[in-house]
Amino acid sequence: MAPALQASGIVKRYGPLLANDGIDLDVARGEVHAVMGENGAGKSTLMSILYGMQAPDGGTIRLDGVAVRFRSPAEAIAHGLGMVHQAFKLFSSLTVWENIVYGREPRRGPFIDGAAARRAAVALAERYGLAVDPGALVARLSVGVRQRVEILKALYREARVLILDEPTAVLTPPERDVLFAVLRRLVVDGRSVIFVTHKLDEVLAISDRVTVLRAGRVAARMTTRETSAREIVRAMTGRVVADRPDRVSMPQGAALLHAEAITVRGDGRVLVADANLSVNGGEVVGIAGVAGNGQTELVEALVGLRAVASGRVQVNGRDVTQSDVAARREAGLAYIPEDRAAVGTAPTASAADNLAMGFHRRPPLRRGWKLDGTAVRDWARRLIARFDIRIGSERTPVATLSGGNMQKVVLARELSHAAPVLIAEQPTRGLDVGAAEFVHGELLAERARGRAVLLVSAELSEVMALSDRVLVMFGGRIIADLPAAQADEERLGLLMAGRPGVAA
Amino acid sequence: MSLPPRVPSVVLAVGFAVVAGAVLVAASGGDPLAAYWQIAVGALAPDNLPNTLNWAVPLTGMALAVAIPLRGGMVNLGGDGQLVLGGLVAALVPLYLPLPGVLSMFAAILAAALVAGLYAALAAWGEVRHGVPMLISSLLLSYPAMGLASYLSGFPLRDRSSGLPQTVMIPPDARLPPLGDVLNVGAFAILVIAIAVVVFDRRSVVGYELRLRGLNPRFARYGGIALGRQAVATMFASGGIAGLTGATIVLGAQFRFTDGALVTPNYTWSGLMAALLAGGEPVGTIGAALFFAALQTGGFAMQRETAVPRVLTMVLQALVILFLAARHGLRRRAAP
Amino acid sequence: MSVLSPFLVHSAVQAITPILLAALAGVLCGQAGVFNIALEGEMLVGAFAGVAGSYLAGSAVAGVAAGALAGAALALILAYGSTVLRGDAIVIGIGINLLASGLTAYLLRQMFGVSGTFDSPAIVGLAPIAIGGLAGVPLLAAALSRQSVLTWFAWALVVLVAVGLFRTPFGLRLRGLGEQPDAAATLGVDVQAWRVGAVLAGGVLAGLAGVQLSLGAVSVFSEDMSAGRGWIAVVAVMLGRNNPLGAAAACVLFGFADAFGLRLQGQGLPNQLTDIAPYVVTLAALILSHRRRQA
Repeated sequence: MAPALQASGIVKRYGPLLANDGIDLDVARGEVHAVMGENGAGKSTLMSILYGMQAPDGGTIRLDGVAVRFRSPAEAIAHGLGMVHQAFKLFSSLTVWENIVYGREPRRGPFIDGAAARRAAVALAERYGLAVDPGALVARLSVGVRQRVEILKALYREARVLILDEPTAVLTPPERDVLFAVLRRLVVDGRSVIFVTHKLDEVLAISDRVTVLRAGRVAARMTTRETSAREIVRAMTGRVVADRPDRVSMPQGAALLHAEAITVRGDGRVLVADANLSVNGGEVVGIAGVAGNGQTELVEALVGLRAVASGRVQVNGRDVTQSDVAARREAGLAYIPEDRAAVGTAPTASAADNLAMGFHRRPPLRRGWKLDGTAVRDWARRLIARFDIRIGSERTPVATLSGGNMQKVVLARELSHAAPVLIAEQPTRGLDVGAAEFVHGELLAERARGRAVLLVSAELSEVMALSDRVLVMFGGRIIADLPAAQADEERLGLLMAGRPGVAA
Repeated sequence: MSLPPRVPSVVLAVGFAVVAGAVLVAASGGDPLAAYWQIAVGALAPDNLPNTLNWAVPLTGMALAVAIPLRGGMVNLGGDGQLVLGGLVAALVPLYLPLPGVLSMFAAILAAALVAGLYAALAAWGEVRHGVPMLISSLLLSYPAMGLASYLSGFPLRDRSSGLPQTVMIPPDARLPPLGDVLNVGAFAILVIAIAVVVFDRRSVVGYELRLRGLNPRFARYGGIALGRQAVATMFASGGIAGLTGATIVLGAQFRFTDGALVTPNYTWSGLMAALLAGGEPVGTIGAALFFAALQTGGFAMQRETAVPRVLTMVLQALVILFLAARHGLRRRAAP
Repeated sequence: MSVLSPFLVHSAVQAITPILLAALAGVLCGQAGVFNIALEGEMLVGAFAGVAGSYLAGSAVAGVAAGALAGAALALILAYGSTVLRGDAIVIGIGINLLASGLTAYLLRQMFGVSGTFDSPAIVGLAPIAIGGLAGVPLLAAALSRQSVLTWFAWALVVLVAVGLFRTPFGLRLRGLGEQPDAAATLGVDVQAWRVGAVLAGGVLAGLAGVQLSLGAVSVFSEDMSAGRGWIAVVAVMLGRNNPLGAAAACVLFGFADAFGLRLQGQGLPNQLTDIAPYVVTLAALILSHRRRQA
């Protein structure tokens, strides 16, 4: 019998970069097929080609033995493919059932048959164990439930091959177990699942076979039962990696960042509830938690980008609760934001303009009411050299830079403040291994200089590798404060799922 | 909107607009070549140049007034109201505040800029405090300002001896001294403003902060720029320049406030288009304002000599903006 | 003297129609994800074409058709410019409004040889529709009787648009693609085509709004006679948060403010002051609605 999906010799070029270099992938009916690889290995490119979002430069795709060529995702869907993206593609102002039937609505006369649509949604949900309320507004749902809606959307369109792109990145361990149960029911039903991930445990737990990509090629093809974690890692990286950056123990100083009983409200909800935290000099404190549990709002409140309903913030011994961003920065706070293109830089502005921000109000860049153009350029050249930013000149817009180099622009600027407190939010998201290691090194260097570092990350491994203490956020609350030694993956996982009782 | 467009796309947009305008003229039975020739002569012949400059002065003022917020990604659509308030205040101060001549003139200009600036800042304050989009509120605020000025000049403060809704003439020693046959010292004031705006845009801390806000407001806020305060201050400057422009017209040319006289020449909207044409970049804005002033001054000659209505120049300006917006889009599509 | 005199109600209903039609246009565009600030210009062109069509063909129907067509023709610039060419909808909107102002003034001179106002007995206005049998209920009679066909059409359209948006596949797709164009495109919806369609349909409605201005209560065209009503419609869309019923409610408020101004004029207040009533009410409503949303 022909494989459910068979891709052969897929090639995709972006300018000089060969993102996919002759990739073969075949997925049998009724299997969970894991596709593994590090960032930049070519997973995303391959999936977007399979799903019709991009045209390959070479290669063929067959579904059940028939050659197909998709010009759009809609065509891929019509041929029985479904994909759940990392960033969900849902209409949050619409209800669950409206999302599910969108574009394929059951009709009664000129109207939508809402009752039939709900019935269809409920029937699918029950069949595969996907608990959702069809009438709920998507905006009100948790991330885990939204993912179920995405899966239902694909199933409603009769997807026989379902692609899941890093589906567990946004899930708590219990939610992940539910997802796995759903996937098992799907394959029993004769469907196929392509499971894209870089997490080993999950591959071992759920997949039947694994295809490992490295640098745009297939590095290995294995049957899960017959392989081991070590073998997969070797295939992925081509080397043995140290799992922890070296950390020297540091004498700890005074509390440089101190927050008391922070409560943040928005959209009529409590986003952060009574959060207390304190970061000492020479210490990295990590905040772990599934995205969307109040981390972003807490950080914004600390930095002054969001008003607090109550509570107090101290930076370097000064109460800055009533201060704006500029005053808090003045008090000694630097901040690497989560989204470097939307917040951390002005992408269309030159590197010089980007690097001057925050320094432009004091000498040497400022002279009276004037901004000294020569000083701005010199300053930018110095930082570009010191942080080894690969850029044509300081006049080049930062939009032209790679993710890693753009992040270096942010790092260069924020670290140059030599501020006692550094807040880093998802500082390595989307970076390749080398760039991520560079960022980790810089954060630890800050710690070694006796500064206080608050690290927020959805990557548990990152939090565990860098932090002296780990806080866990769930539902807007800080529900645990653990020394690094006690913060193992299992315990953190349970806490992130909001189960402190079990973890303790 | 904030990125200044590259020169060739502007030239191309002007070219398209000229062609489209020619089609319109030909379709309505006119001779486009003759019409355009008359515009050129009417604007640029040595005898006519002073008129062009005279038209360019308030137009440049209004263009700069809009360009300042536009640089920061904000649109001030309330120029008409601010211009009228400035003109009204400039007429009322010398008439009703007993000050000696020159002092009265300066007081009038300052008061005009202050009142119009505060009125414009009101729109920014509405956005910052009450979340009312400035694009809308600045425009809506224009109507009450114009209505009030219209009422005051039509009823309580009207010159009873005149058949028009207008105030009495302001005393001669409070007027702006003439500069040659056509121009007056107001031109000098606008020139100073223009230089100041260019210098501030390129060299100052304030200009840097405004420009970066225009490129990415979230980045500006993250970097410590207080967006609310900045918006209010920027709109104050914008309205202040609009008010000053109104004052120079009243004190330098009309010597009284006449209902509708400031709005009819369309300085506000031509100025807005000039600023949009240059994406708010001041030097480009001034260039565009001069170009539009020439177009409109030439329009008088065209109407006189060829019977093509001079409002055609307004159509041409709008077409330039529309073609430019389309070109912008094309460029964005080429580089996603 | 009662505040709600029959005259006031009648003129309010009349004043609401153009704003309501334009607001419905704005709702369609807003739901499709296009911020349409060109309503003012589309309305003005509709008003001119309405008078021109009626005058040249000697029939109000021709005026209505011409107005609708002209509105759509102008909307084509926004439809194409903001979607296919991906231009800035705000800049294009400003450009369209100025183009409409200049173009109508130009054509007024070239076609009819006048400037300012064009008034002729040959312009056939929209016949008011008399409704009998309401003599017993004076306010209702004042509201409903002797209104133009466009007034009836506008209110029927409120219902139609509401039902269409919230009960049909058509509306579901429009609402979805306006919020998340990417997601809609993935599911096979041609986002650009839908947006172009919504903006063009909006152009027709805004054009009809203009026709109501120039052929509804009076039969004249004067330069810039839309006088900010298109902007008030934009505000009505914002206040109604893209919901046709909410927008209609806002329009009613503005219509009564407008008529109330007229009424004050009857009391001897100069029109320069009473004309600002709708704008002041609009601003106040914007501030209040934000306050409420915050609470």
